[in-house]
Amino acid sequence: MAPKLEVRDLNAWYAGRQALYDVAVDLEDRAATAVIGPSGCGKSTFLRCLNRLHEEVPGARVSGSIRMDGSDLAREHVVSVRCRVGMVFQKPNPFPNLSVFENVAAGLRLLGVRRRDELDQGVADALVHAGLWEEVEQQLDAPGTSLSGGQQQRLCIARALAVRPEVLLLDEPCSALDPIATAKVESLLARLKREYCLVVVTHNLAQARRISDRTAFFYLGKVVEVGATEELFTRPAEKLTENYVNGRFG
Amino acid sequence: MDPPAGTETSAPASRGLTRRRARLLRWAGAAFRSVTTVVALGLVALLAGLVVFLLRGAEPSIVRFGPGFLSGTAWDVPQGIFGALPPLEGTLITSGLALLLAVPIALGVALFASEMAPRWLRGPVGYVIDLGAAVPSVVYGFWAIVVLVPFLSGTIEPGVARLTGGVGPFAGPPRGTDLLAAGLILAIMIVPTIAALAREALRSVPRDLREAALGVGATRWEATRLAVLGPAAPGLVGAVILGFARAIGETIAVALVIGNEYQLPSSLFSRGVTIPSWIVNAFSESYGITLSSLYELAALLLVVSVAINLGARLLIGRWERRRGRGHRWRRGTSGLATGTTAPGSGAPRPWFAAVIAARARRLRRRRVVQALVLALVVGAVALAAWPLASVIGTAVANGGRAVVTPSFYTSEPPPPCGIGQAVCPVGGIGPEIQGTFIMVGLAAAVALPAGLLAGIYLAEYARRRVGTLMGLVVDVLLGVPTILIGVFVFSAFLTYDRLDDQSAFAGAAALAVLMLPIVAKSTELALRTVPETVREGALALGFPRHRVTLRVVLGSCRSALVTGLLLAIMRAAGETAAVLFTAGSSVYWATNLRTPIGAIAPFIYDALTVYTSSNYGVAAWGAALVLLLMMAAVTLAARLAVRRTDAQRGT
Repeated sequence: MAPKLEVRDLNAWYAGRQALYDVAVDLEDRAATAVIGPSGCGKSTFLRCLNRLHEEVPGARVSGSIRMDGSDLAREHVVSVRCRVGMVFQKPNPFPNLSVFENVAAGLRLLGVRRRDELDQGVADALVHAGLWEEVEQQLDAPGTSLSGGQQQRLCIARALAVRPEVLLLDEPCSALDPIATAKVESLLARLKREYCLVVVTHNLAQARRISDRTAFFYLGKVVEVGATEELFTRPAEKLTENYVNGRFG
Repeated sequence: MDPPAGTETSAPASRGLTRRRARLLRWAGAAFRSVTTVVALGLVALLAGLVVFLLRGAEPSIVRFGPGFLSGTAWDVPQGIFGALPPLEGTLITSGLALLLAVPIALGVALFASEMAPRWLRGPVGYVIDLGAAVPSVVYGFWAIVVLVPFLSGTIEPGVARLTGGVGPFAGPPRGTDLLAAGLILAIMIVPTIAALAREALRSVPRDLREAALGVGATRWEATRLAVLGPAAPGLVGAVILGFARAIGETIAVALVIGNEYQLPSSLFSRGVTIPSWIVNAFSESYGITLSSLYELAALLLVVSVAINLGARLLIGRWERRRGRGHRWRRGTSGLATGTTAPGSGAPRPWFAAVIAARARRLRRRRVVQALVLALVVGAVALAAWPLASVIGTAVANGGRAVVTPSFYTSEPPPPCGIGQAVCPVGGIGPEIQGTFIMVGLAAAVALPAGLLAGIYLAEYARRRVGTLMGLVVDVLLGVPTILIGVFVFSAFLTYDRLDDQSAFAGAAALAVLMLPIVAKSTELALRTVPETVREGALALGFPRHRVTLRVVLGSCRSALVTGLLLAIMRAAGETAAVLFTAGSSVYWATNLRTPIGAIAPFIYDALTVYTSSNYGVAAWGAALVLLLMMAAVTLAARLAVRRTDAQRGT
C-alpha cells in the first residue's frame, strides 16, 4: 500500500540554525508512527513541517518535498493543508474565550458549516470520537479552559477531529498529563490509529512502544532508523538506535 | 546553635552564619522593606496632596458659585462671573471626535504590527508606533499650526461646507483654528498611544493559541478573530480608554489650534476651549476669584480623568470575570440527543461530504476576506503614517539646518528681528538645553530611585488588598493630566508672589511628580515578569528576601527596568504643560536654580505664543527637531534593550 505521506530531502532551519537534515520518511495510513529521539533532535520540527506550521516561526525556512497521496503539500494552499492535516500540541491549548462546544465547532465554522443541527452533530460526533462526550455532556457551555488538563487535551483532539482530517499530528500529547489522563489519551490513540494516519512525537519510549506500529528515531536532525516498532525496539539495525532505546544515552 | 526564630535566613547558624550576622541580615531586610513601604506611601501622599491643593485653590470659587459653576457659560473677569460649561463641552466634543477617528485607525495599526504584517516589518512598524507616541505634544501642536490648520481652512473645511451645505456641525467660516482642528490633532496624537498599547495587548496572547487556530485551518485573519481578539479584548478596551484619557488631558497641542474663545461650541468650525487649554492660557494672568475658578476647572478635570480610570478598571475587571461564556447548546435539535444517530459510529454524517466538496470554493472566499481585512489594515497604517511622516518631514525641512550648526547648541535665542532687517540671526537654544538637562536631571535624581523603590514595594511586598489599592493610586497618578501636575506644584511650592518664585527647582519638582508613577509602574511590571521560580530558587539557597529582590530579581529584568527609566526621562524632557508655569521662562543661561529657567519644549510653546517675532521660527523648529531626535534615540535604545531580553529568553 502506498504511504499516506512521503517525506523526501526535508531540510528545515530556524533563523540560520539547521534543525533537520535530508529527512526521508514514509508515513502509513491507518497506522500510528511514533517519532522518538532526545530533546532538540528535530522531532517536533519534523512534525510542524507536516502541516506547514513551521513556516509560522519567525526566520524559519524549509526545503524538500512532502507528498500526501502523491501530491505535493507545498503546492496546496496552506489553509487547505491544515484542514487535511490536524495537529494536537504538547500543552493543551483550548481557546480560552470559547465554550467547550465552540472550541470543537471552531473548525467546522471555518469550513462554512452554519446549520445548527449540523454543528450539533459534528461537535457531538467529535466529542464521542475523542472519548470526551460522557464527561462534558453537561458542561458544553462552560469555558474550554475550565476542564481538567487531560480533558482539555482530549478537547483539543476533538477540535482537530471535528473537521475530519486525513492525518493527525500529536506533539508529545501526554507530557503535560498525569498517568490516568495519559492512559485515557493512549487508549484513544489506539482507537484512532485504525482510521487515521497518526504521527506521534514522544519522549516516552514505553509509550511509543505501546501505541505505535512504526517508529522513526531522530538524532541531531537526522533520521537514524525507521521501521516496525517491535523490530526497532528489539532488533535495531543501528548501534545508535540500540543505545537510545536501551536508555544508554538521551 | 539554632538560628533565631522568624529569621529570614534558613541556613543553620552553626554553619558559618553567626547569630550576630543573622540579626544584621534580619534588620537589613526589615529596613529595606520599611523604606520601600514609606516611599510607596509617599505616592499616596502625593495623590492626596494633589487633591487637597486643587480643592484648596478652588474653595472660594466653589463657595461663591456652587453647582451653578457647572452650567454657567461666562468667563467674565471684570464682573467676576465664571461657569465651566464651555470648556466641559469643548473637552468632551474634541476628545469624543478624536476617539471616533482614532480608534479604528489605531486598532488597524495594532493589528498590522502584531498580526498581519510580514514578520520582518513588524519590528520597524512597532518602533514607528512607539516613536509616534513619544513625540512631545508641543511638537504636534507646532506642526498643526503650520501644516494642519492651513490644510483645514484651505481645503478640508470649505470642501466639507460645500458638501453639507454648511449647516449644523459644519456651519461657520472655515478658520482652521477650531474644534475640528483640536479634535483632529488629538486623534493624530492618540492613534500611536492606543496602537502601542493595543499592540502589546495583542502580542501578550500566547503563541500556542494562534497555532491552535492555524492548526484547525484558519487563515491569518481568522486565527486573529478566533484566538487573539477574545483574549486581548480587555487589553484593547484598556488601550482605547487610556487614549481617551490622554485626549481629555491633552493641553498644549489643543491650546495652539482651538482658537481659545470662551463660548459654547455652535459647530465644529467654531472656536472654543477645553479645560486644560483654558487653564494653560489663563493661568499666568489670573488671580483672586478668577484663579480660584481655574482651580475648580482643574479639579473638574481631575474628577473626569479619575472617573474614566476607575470606570475602565471596573469595566475590564467585570469583563474578565464574565469571559468564557459560549453559545447555547440546544438539545433536541441534535441527532445524537434524539437517538437518530448511533454515537461514535465514526462514519461521517451525510452533509459532511458536501462540506468537503465546497472546501476549495469556500477557501477562495475566505482568502478574499483575508485580503480585504489586510487592505483595511494597510489603509489604517497609511492614514496613521501620514501625519507622523509630515511632522518629521516638516521638522527636518525647517529645523534641519539649525541642528547641524554647532552654534545652535551654544548660543542664546536671537533678539527680536525688525521688519527692515535683511537677515535675521538664527541664534540657538543653548540655555534651553541647559535648562532641560538641569530640570530633568534633578527630577530624575529624586524620581528614579523613589519610583524604583515604590515599584519594588508594589511587586514584592504589597499584600493583596493594599497592593490593589496602591496599584490603583499609581494608575490614577499615571492618568493625571500633566497640566494638573503643573497647577499642583505651582500652588504647593509657590506663594502669591509667584513671578519671583518660578524656578528650576519648581520645574524639577513638577517633572519628578510626572516621572514618579511612570517609573513605579514600569518597575512593578518589569518585576512581575520575573517568574516566581527564580525567587524561590534564590530563597532556597538561603538568600534573605531583600537580597533576592535586589540581586536576583532586579538583575534578571534589568533591561526592562532601564527601558522604563528611559521612557520616564523621555516624557519629562518633552513635557511642556507641567513646566510652563512652574519653571517660568527665560532665554538666558541659568546661573541660579532659584530663578525662572527655560527648557526646550516650553521654548517652542513660548516661541509660538509669547515671542512671536518672526525669526523665532527657525530656532523653534530646530528645538522641535532636537526633541524628535532625542525621542527617536531613546525609543530605539528602549527597543534594543527589550529585544535583547526577548532574545535571551528565547521568545
